[in-house]
Amino acid sequence: MSSSTPQARSPGDRVCQKEARAKAMGHIVLNGLMAALFASLFVRAGDLPSSMWEPLGSGTFPRLILAVMMVFNLLIIAKEGRRYMACQPLAPHAVRDWLWRHRLAFGVLGLFTLLTLAVPLVGFRWASLPFLIACQFLLGARRPRALLIALVIAVVMSFGVDALFRHVFTISLPRGVWG
Amino acid sequence: MMEAILSGAEQLFNLPTLLTMLVGVTAGVIAAAIPGFTITMAIVLTLPLTFTMPPLQGVATMLAVYIGGYTGGMISAALLGIPGTPSAVATTFDAFPMARRGEPGRALAIGIWASFFGTLISSIVLILAAPPLALIAVKLGAWEYFSLVIFALTIVASLVGRSMIRGLLAGMLGLLIATVGADPLMGVTRFTFDLNLLSAGIPFLVVLIGIFAVSQLLSEVENPEQIKQGKALIASRITFHPLSALHEVVMHPINLVRSSLVGVFIGAVPGAGGSIANLLAYDQAKRGSRTPEAFGTGCSEGVVASESGNSATSGGGLIPLIALGIPGSAVDAVLMASLMVHGIGIGPRLILDHADTVYGMFMAMFLAGAMMLIVCLLSMRLFLKVTNVPKSIIVPVVMTCCLVGAFTLNNRVTDIYLLLGIGVFGYILAKLDYPLAPLVLGVILGPIAETNLRRALMTDDNWTLFFTRPVSLALLALAVISVILAIRYRMKQRHQAAALG
Repeated sequence: MSSSTPQARSPGDRVCQKEARAKAMGHIVLNGLMAALFASLFVRAGDLPSSMWEPLGSGTFPRLILAVMMVFNLLIIAKEGRRYMACQPLAPHAVRDWLWRHRLAFGVLGLFTLLTLAVPLVGFRWASLPFLIACQFLLGARRPRALLIALVIAVVMSFGVDALFRHVFTISLPRGVWG
Repeated sequence: MMEAILSGAEQLFNLPTLLTMLVGVTAGVIAAAIPGFTITMAIVLTLPLTFTMPPLQGVATMLAVYIGGYTGGMISAALLGIPGTPSAVATTFDAFPMARRGEPGRALAIGIWASFFGTLISSIVLILAAPPLALIAVKLGAWEYFSLVIFALTIVASLVGRSMIRGLLAGMLGLLIATVGADPLMGVTRFTFDLNLLSAGIPFLVVLIGIFAVSQLLSEVENPEQIKQGKALIASRITFHPLSALHEVVMHPINLVRSSLVGVFIGAVPGAGGSIANLLAYDQAKRGSRTPEAFGTGCSEGVVASESGNSATSGGGLIPLIALGIPGSAVDAVLMASLMVHGIGIGPRLILDHADTVYGMFMAMFLAGAMMLIVCLLSMRLFLKVTNVPKSIIVPVVMTCCLVGAFTLNNRVTDIYLLLGIGVFGYILAKLDYPLAPLVLGVILGPIAETNLRRALMTDDNWTLFFTRPVSLALLALAVISVILAIRYRMKQRHQAAALG
């Protein structure tokens, strides 16, 4: 009997069951989205031109892969659908709790997203400097000494790295509008 | 011959050459240890510096960077779980769990010795078997290449983790990612949606950094309590005992030699290289082990296989270069360019016309291997201090390095956006327990598989040639055996689990 069946009784099992249900839902959503995307790509690949010089055109190899992947997607959806049905429903605040537990990961991801968007606009130096300071602050550098270290690291990793690449490796990192 | 050897030794064993080699090894180790920076980048950056050097000094320096780089990739793989170079992907499977359970010194020491022996074995094979091996390697046609890729793809069966179907899906995803951009034969753009972002395809290195680095770094900061306490990557006391690690490495001689020979062969096949060799060597070690269930949990055999396998490709790659003038990888092509800059013609006559340079290169391989060992053993305590650095510093610094690495690959800002997108996708896959290594393997093998399948059928549209050409048939048979063994192993595991209740 798998641990995800309704017969599990201990608190640990219940947590495990909730996680299994959430993951099963995640698999179903992800594979459903992928299957839809792959189906549209499959159709698109069919329109790719073929050549008189080769039996396989540009679209054959991708179509082969896409077809196999769609089969895998459906198999995973079927398997995880059964698991989802067998698990207890999630508590109403489960998603909120999960998001709160992962707040730092999402915070870092948000800052990294801002960094990637800012690099072409303001250049590597001025985008990475606030990223490095903000990220270290978010992850716990709050006292004056820690903030000073964070500042030094930020300057070295932004202005220092930029200078290293420009003058030693002769590679210009993005300069942005303030270049 | 003796005259050429002595002449080569004279050019090699002088202070300027020894010094530049030492700097090269150190630079290679450091560059490859930074996620996002590859050995190819380090070699390319070294090339202009060698123009003013005598030919052998230039090549020896670049070989030193090359060999140092193969070992350096292991450092971030073991300490951060992020492969420093594509050739260190399999190193993360066991070196990282070993480091996480409080033995980062052991993981690094085993990796260093395995790398050293891998380099040593590949150098010996290079000297003894360069001409015959090169002839075999270049006789492989499109049929054999495709069959070789099919065999390599069966590694997925070993990397799938708990769910075979999720692992296979990840591998296929990798193959699909590799089809984005220009078609390798006709140049037709595929799946770009007229976006500038996708027009040049999705570079392999961006996938590697995004999938491994971004998802791993986000996982590191998932626990707010640990972060609040300012926890370092590895909390326990760090020890480094190279001699006991040497004992562990030589206790597995079959694994060491087999993995090194896999590395030499894959290195000798043009277009393959360390990124495949480490995975193939790991796979073979797991299949040949008495305790395959220990693989992936931090076992020394896995570290030995991956590190000796990838380091051995350095000697393997030189086989077709020296014997036939055909570079086996991008790094070998840069080495070739450095010789050509000095007016040394590359081709089958190289060993006849410039025997002193060739023997000097052979000796430089051994010397660079020894230097790498010394540099790494002396500096590893310093690298281990990384594990004491709080995550609040490591995470943003490594993320910045990843961004720089992704950009400098092609000097394209769009690669940074791709890095972000792939990183987020990799994080989702990791959270849902999809194994990431098969995806990376798919991206590596996808273009080789498609190009050779289509090229084979362009040459002759007879499909049966895949089964009638002896080498192709042998490789396909190996692929079938590999799949059968993987299924048998999984069934055995399932029965054992059922028996244990």
